[in-house]
This record gives sequence, structure tokens and C-alpha cells, in this order.
Amino acid sequence: MRMPDLTALLTATAVFTSAFAFTAQAGEVHVLNWKGYGADEPWAVEAFEKATGNKVINDFFNSEQEMLTKIRTNPGLYDVVMINAAFNDQAMAEKLIQPIDTSKLPNYADISKDKAGSPMLDHDGKVYGVPWVWGLTALAINEKSFDKAPTSIAEMWDPAHKGRVVIRDDAVEAVQFGAIATGQNINDIKDMDAVKTKLTSLMPQIKTFWSSENDWNQMVASNQIDIGTYWSGSADRAKTHFKLPVSLVIPQEGAVAWLDAFSIPVGSKNVGGAEAFINYMIDPKFYVEWVTKVGAPVSANTKAVEALPEDAFNRKVMGDPEVAKRIQFQAPITDAQREVYLALWQQLKVDVK
Amino acid sequence: MAAHGAVAARGGLRKALPLLAPAYLWLTVAIFLPLSAMVFFSFMTDLPLTGKPWAFTLGNYAAFFSQSLYLTLLLASLRLGLEVTLWCIVIGYPAAYVLAKVLKGRSREAIFLLVILPFWSNGLVRIFSWAMVLREGGILDTALNAVLPFKINIDLMYSYPAVIIGLVHSYVPYMVLTCYLTLQAIDDSLIEAGRSLGASRLQVLKRVIIPLSMPGLVAGAALIFVPVVGSFMEPRILGGRTGTFYGTVIEDQFVAVFNWPLGAALSFILLAVVLVILAVASPVLRRAT
Amino acid sequence: MATTRILEGLGRLYVFMLLAFLYLPIIIMALMSFNASPFYQLPFEWTVDWYQSLWQNGQLISATWNSLEIAVITTIISVVLGTAASLALYRYEFRGKKLLQALLFPPIAIPWLITGTAMLIFFFGVGIGRGLFAILLGHVALALPYVIVVVSARLQTFAPELEEAARSLGANQWQVTARVTLPWIMPGVIAGGLFAFAVSFDQFVVSYFLSTPGQTTLPVEIYAAIRKGFTPEINAVSTIIIVVSMALMLLTARFFKFGGEK
Repeated sequence: MRMPDLTALLTATAVFTSAFAFTAQAGEVHVLNWKGYGADEPWAVEAFEKATGNKVINDFFNSEQEMLTKIRTNPGLYDVVMINAAFNDQAMAEKLIQPIDTSKLPNYADISKDKAGSPMLDHDGKVYGVPWVWGLTALAINEKSFDKAPTSIAEMWDPAHKGRVVIRDDAVEAVQFGAIATGQNINDIKDMDAVKTKLTSLMPQIKTFWSSENDWNQMVASNQIDIGTYWSGSADRAKTHFKLPVSLVIPQEGAVAWLDAFSIPVGSKNVGGAEAFINYMIDPKFYVEWVTKVGAPVSANTKAVEALPEDAFNRKVMGDPEVAKRIQFQAPITDAQREVYLALWQQLKVDVK
Repeated sequence: MAAHGAVAARGGLRKALPLLAPAYLWLTVAIFLPLSAMVFFSFMTDLPLTGKPWAFTLGNYAAFFSQSLYLTLLLASLRLGLEVTLWCIVIGYPAAYVLAKVLKGRSREAIFLLVILPFWSNGLVRIFSWAMVLREGGILDTALNAVLPFKINIDLMYSYPAVIIGLVHSYVPYMVLTCYLTLQAIDDSLIEAGRSLGASRLQVLKRVIIPLSMPGLVAGAALIFVPVVGSFMEPRILGGRTGTFYGTVIEDQFVAVFNWPLGAALSFILLAVVLVILAVASPVLRRAT
Repeated sequence: MATTRILEGLGRLYVFMLLAFLYLPIIIMALMSFNASPFYQLPFEWTVDWYQSLWQNGQLISATWNSLEIAVITTIISVVLGTAASLALYRYEFRGKKLLQALLFPPIAIPWLITGTAMLIFFFGVGIGRGLFAILLGHVALALPYVIVVVSARLQTFAPELEEAARSLGANQWQVTARVTLPWIMPGVIAGGLFAFAVSFDQFVVSYFLSTPGQTTLPVEIYAAIRKGFTPEINAVSTIIIVVSMALMLLTARFFKFGGEK
């Protein structure tokens, strides 16, 4: 317990000193993010406002497409926007976001190298997104329905779970999940027919399509489901924070990984404030508090992850090198591909009606 | 219903304009012009908003006919709209009749208000509550098993009946109130006259009450059928695996793939179909009176 | 007439059952606002925590006030404009009347998602932008067709001879409308107003597109909360609203007559 405390103290001092450097440009920081996703935690907003004198105004989106629409139709309104790395490319190509001067972000140096150097976020040697957190879309089980946690994705197809399986209502995720189940690369699916056949046989197993963390938790709380796809951070939160009988399974076949990053929109009126905010978001002190109080995905900042207790889920399970080998990060998808996936997904849903 | 005749004939657009203009101007600015922009989009290959090149096309409308999926779902949605409307009539009309003709005095006003009050709560929270009722081990299941001597398993959640129940619950007040408005207006002496002339209750209902309350019935049916055909929230949450409808695929085009042109084209096809149905149905209903 | 008695009794019972059906989810919603589990988990554990934390939740409370304000203003505007339009459609005959009546249906038929998106783009394009004013603009437009359809249904039961009679007694158009027509259609106007309030107060999609950070409405807050932070605070605030409105309504019903009784 000693060491993390010390690190926390040190980093706390660091964030304060670095924060003071920004107080000169006090003002409002308009942040666009998912609701309940770290940036709008009241204690975090308060700490940041106290440290920098900037006032945080949060706005939310419910889908990536909507996030893009909001930036498009409100030029100059937002200072910080949270963009999934797979969408960063599109946002940059549409000239919605600007390069970030990482020398203004003291914590940027601690971002793990593979994420900071991600070609999804860096274009022409410029950084368009600061990696924040990453996580998995893997499986989660209702502990009441299993004596022993399954290890294979095939469990979803087991007739024993008929009518008690859930999957998210998301075409891209469903297709990529099908790719994993058929042993393919999620970013380069060669055999689409195999994916379709595999998913077709899954449909009769399904109880419903979930769309929010709340859906999943309600269903498991009322013991209506056995197994389903779920986000790693949400599964951890369900277990540790809400005390629900949920555990995450990272199947041997692999899982879909995603990376969330912060960007600064073109036309931001408070770039200084935006930089200070992003720096605070990747700070270990904020991260440890977020994990402890709320539950969170894995930080891209190596020092932040190291500040967690040894046995923390985000350190022990997600940091396991064996897991790192199995997971596949989502790469950008073209609009045309997305529509093909959606057409397939809609057809599957109609066929099972 | 030729009631208008006398006054109407002497009027004209000039007299109607001052009364009509405020409402229709408001509708023009907030609905018609924005929707015209959408009509425009529905003929485009891509949105100008994204900075990508675009051209005019009929492709979005052709897409509807090129895939059987859309037609299948549209028919499913129309059937859903019809079923929900019929259930609302079956459940709502008798209640409206009792409210208008049996209950008197203060209790009538109170119930009139109480019928609509549940809809001042949030739709999504109401749907969550239905989940509590309909699922296995839920309130309905437990209650029925407590009463019945044998064991039954009720798990209506995530099924077509769940969608119907949720939608009927959401829309039946429209039917109750619109039918009440016309039923209440029927003079009691008319009913009594019919009865004293030897007509049976059923005959009075068929010859007097239903024809005279028809405007309310039609208004209620339109206010229910039209939005239900395009609904997506209730089917998605309550329908589970079977909850895919025309409204949900339109939603997907807007939310998941950002293909507004196709989404808009699909909704205008829906609008056209609904208007045709209303146009065909209204003379039929009018003749029925 | 014994049969009539029995039939009337059955009728009352039926209305009571309908009310039970309508209020079932509301009762569950209220119960869950006193349950400790945020996921509606049973067994029931009594708590008032959600009411206490609601008190702290400034954002939810201010969104609730915004919603109430917008719903009340929407109701007033749409009832006034809608009733006027219904009277015009009832009284006068002119070319294009059928078209005007048909035009009431696009706002109802087109899923609100599309209408909301269209408003967002159009308001952005013409400089109205987003915010509470834009939301109000949108809500009134959505509520108007409901008011017009409902009031028109009531107007169809109105006998024009009554207006004629009043006119022949020397009343002018205003007096005729205020003394004869309005009292007759009052139940329709009230029903239209109740619908307008419900349309606005539970309107999510359009509000969602047109709200700005810090200026949101209750449904927008609720839908944003669903994704991650749903708590029964939402049940708590909905319960308070229902209880207060029920009290107000019963009070109204006690002192005013609007059911159309002669």
C-alpha cells in the first residue's frame, strides 16, 4: 500500500504544479464525451476547476456519428472532444480537429509507446488524438449460471444457453465478433460468408440486443441472461461497484479492443484550457480516483496503471501479456464497409423475427 | 356530418387566414421547411455537410425496392400499427363511453384528467417498469402463479406481445379522450328516444352512438396508427430479438451509419404510405356513418 | 331498470380496471424510487437515498425546471394557435383546405428522429441555432397537430345553428366565439392541452438535437443517463412530478367544470 500512496502523492504534486502553469488562460472548457465517462465526474470537474480556474461545461453524445454531427454543426463551441481512435482519421480528414502540441501536456510522456505512436491518432508526424483509455468488448457471464467460467467463445452457441444470450445492437461490433468466432482478423475480414453463417446460427440463441450498460446490469440483476458480449470496464464496474454476479471472460479466440482518445476541435476558443484538461484526464491521480470511486477502463498512461493496486483488474487481467497477444484493436472502417456490415446485421435481425 | 355547410359556405380563405396563419406559419418554420431540406437530402448521394462530393440520385428510393428487407419490415410495422389501433379501440372506446354517459359530476372530470396523467412521466422509465411486470419471475408471473392452482411460466418480455402491450399502454389515452369528446356531445334524449321506440341496446349503439361518435374514433385512430407505424423505441426495448421494425432501420441509418439520405428517403416512403392509407380509409369510415 | 344498473356498475368497474392498467407502470416506477438497487433488483430494500441524492443533483433539477417551463409555454401557445386554426378549418370553406388538413400528419408520421435532425440542420442554417428557444419552437410545432386534430373532432359535434342563433340575437363574431363556441369545445381544448403538455414534457428526440450543454431538458438528461449512469433518482423525480400534478389535477377537477356537462 505504501508505494502507490507515495506515487499518488508525487503525481498529485506534479499535477498541481503543472496545472498552475495554465491558470493564466482561465476560461471555459467545453467538453464533448459520453455521459458518465470520467470527464463529467463531479469530483474531477471540481478538482480541475480548482486547480486551473477553468470552468468545465460538459456536453454528451450517444453515438460516434452524433459526436461528429455535433462538432460539424457547432464550430467553435467545443474545446475538448473524446473520439474513439477508429474515428480519429475521419474527423481529421473532415478538418474537424487540430494537431495537439504534446509538449504542453506533461503527462503525455508517460503514455505507453504503442498507443502514443498509434497510426490511427498520428498523421504526418502530428498528433491529432491523445490516447486516454482502452478496453475490450469481450464476454461477460452471469456467475449464477456457471460453476466454472467458460474459456471459449463457443459457449455462446451452446444450446444450454438458448434464449439467455445477449449481444450488443451494433452492426460493426457484431460482425467483428463473428470474425473472431471464425478465426479471422477483425480489420480484414476475408470470408464474410463464414461470418454470416456463424452469426445466423447465433441469432436463435439470443434473448435481446442490449444497447447500454444499464440494460446489461438490469438483465443480470433479474437473472434473465447467462452470457453475452460486454465491455471490460463495465463488467468490472458491475462486479466491484454494483456487486452484481458478473465476471469478464476474455475468450481464447480473442476479443475486440478499442482505444479512446481526446482531441481538440478546430476553432476551439480555449486551446490552453483544453490542453490542461486533457493533461488532467491522463493524470495518474485522476485515474486512480476514477477507478476506485466509479470503475473505469484501462488508462493509456503506464504510470497511471502502475499506480493501481497489484491485484486490480485493470492491472492484473488487462495488463496480462497473454491477453495482449489475443486481443485485436479496431482500425478505422470506411463508410462503405460500415453500410455493408449494417445491411448484413439488419438482414440477420429480420430473418430471426 | 354535413354540419358545416351553413356557415362554411359564406366564408373563404380571406376570413380564415387570420385564424390559420399563426399556426401554419409556425409549422412552416419549425417543420415544413426543415422537412423540405430533408426531402432535398433524400435525393442526394452524400451529405454536403461532410465536405465530400455529392450528386443528385434516385438511388435512395430505389434502395427500398431493391431489397426485400425494407418491404418486409414496412408491412410488419403497418400490421403493428393496425393491431395497436384495434386494441386501443377495443379497450378505449367502452371506457370513453362510460366516462361520457355513465359517470357524472366531479368524478368524471377527475378521471378525464387521470387518464392522461401517466404520460407526464418519462416514456423510457415506463418501459423499464413494463420489463418488471412482463419478465419471467416478474410481477405478472408471480401474481398469476399465486392465484392459479397450477404452475405456469409467463415470460412475455422481449416478445411481440410485449411490444403490443407497451404501445397500447402508451396510446390508449388518445382513444379514450378523443372518443369521449364526441360521445359526450351526443344528446342523451336521442338515445332515450331510440330506446323508447323499441330499439335494442345494440341497435342504438350501432345506429346512433357509433355513427355520432365517429369523428372522435377517426381522430383517435389516426393519432395512434400514424406514430406507431414509425415507432422504434418500444419495439427495440420490449421486442428483444423480434423488435426489428421499419422505424428501427430508419433509426440505424441516422444513428449508426450516418446515411441520412437513405434514412430520409425511407421515412418519406413511410409518410407516403401512411397518407395513402389515411386517404383511402377516411371515405370508407365516413360512409360507415 | 335493473339491467341498466348492472351495466353501469360493470362500466364503472371497467374504467377502474383501465386506470389500474394505466397506472401499473407508474406505481412500479414510484416503488423503485424507494428501492436500494439501481437495477430494479428484488427483493425490495427500502431507502430514501435516491430522493436525497436527487436533492444534490443540480443538473437534474434544473433540467426538470426547464422541461416544466417549456411544456407549460408549449401548451399555452399550441392551444391558442391550434384552437384558432381548428375554428378556421371548421367555419370556412376554401381551396386547399384538404391539403392544410393533410399537412397536419407529416409531423406525426415522420419519426421524431428525422424531424429533429431536420430541425437541427435547418435552424443551424438560418441562424436560429440551438437552445431553449429552439426547443420551444420545435415543441409547439410538434404539439400543434395534436391540438388541431383533437379540437376539430370536438368541433364536428357542434351545431352551427347555435352560432347562427347567437348572431341573430345581435352578438358579434367575438361574442359568438367566446360565449357559444368556446364553452362547447372546452373539453376538446383541455384534452388538446393535456396532449400538448405530454408531447412536450416527454419529448426526447427533438430536445436532444436542439439542446446545448447546460440548457437541457429532463428527458435529455434521462436518455443520456441510460448509457452509463442511470439511477433511480430519475424515478424519484418522475414520482414527485406525478404526485404533484395529480394533486393539482384533482384540485382543478374539484373547482372547475370542463367535461362539457350542461
